[in-house]
Amino acid sequence: MSEAAELTCAELVELVTEYLEGALTGEELERFEEHLVYCGPCAVHVEQMRETIRTAGALREEDLDPALADELLAAFRGWRHGAA
Amino acid sequence: MNAFKFLLTDRVGPFSGFRWPVGEWVEAHDGRACGAGVHACAPADLPFWLLDELWEVELREPVARGRHKLVARGGRLVRRIEAWDGEAGEDFTVACIERVRGLAVRRPEAAGHLADLGNWAPHVRPAAVASLAARAAEAVEGRDGYDAERAAQADWLAGRLGLEPTA
Repeated sequence: MSEAAELTCAELVELVTEYLEGALTGEELERFEEHLVYCGPCAVHVEQMRETIRTAGALREEDLDPALADELLAAFRGWRHGAA
Repeated sequence: MNAFKFLLTDRVGPFSGFRWPVGEWVEAHDGRACGAGVHACAPADLPFWLLDELWEVELREPVARGRHKLVARGGRLVRRIEAWDGEAGEDFTVACIERVRGLAVRRPEAAGHLADLGNWAPHVRPAAVASLAARAAEAVEGRDGYDAERAAQADWLAGRLGLEPTA
């Protein structure tokens, strides 16, 4: 964490998951929420992450269309091979 | 003790999403607002939390001090500070720019920050202008500069809004 008075956007992005899990406390939480007050793009990012988690958390495997599941699996396999 | 609290339009908490009633006690432990406590501001804290509506809030003792906020077990909205409105926000923005302009006169290396602030100010909220001005001061004069700019913002708000210091 920087010694600057305010959290940077990059630092906030690193902490989003912990924030949404309620794992930030004390000064770290306060600096995070201060940043959200003055930084509109970061506030949007946190809301998008919150919505993504909410939506993904409500999905069950059987909700997925089989054709889409195959397409996603193929994409992930290609991703792994491409990264290797 | 009485203090101040910024909320979104229609008395909505920015992080809890809780819509605050007027005059009714809200307790931290009832889970409606924030389980960690009811958050509020002393005048010096105000520039860090600038939002749509400003309210005077009565806090239930004991009240703890955070970095830039007060935390209590409970609180209730007493009255809205009507003087904090769109016009006050615009005037606050102008005052921040003028201080950075003064900084740039004393310290020419602040000229770039002044230009950035002038470009951004018409498009962002007062809270963002306050942060940009404080970071400009920090870039040129270090942490003391940052703290001095934040103190000047708090003084401006207390004077313009007619706020009494909290106990």
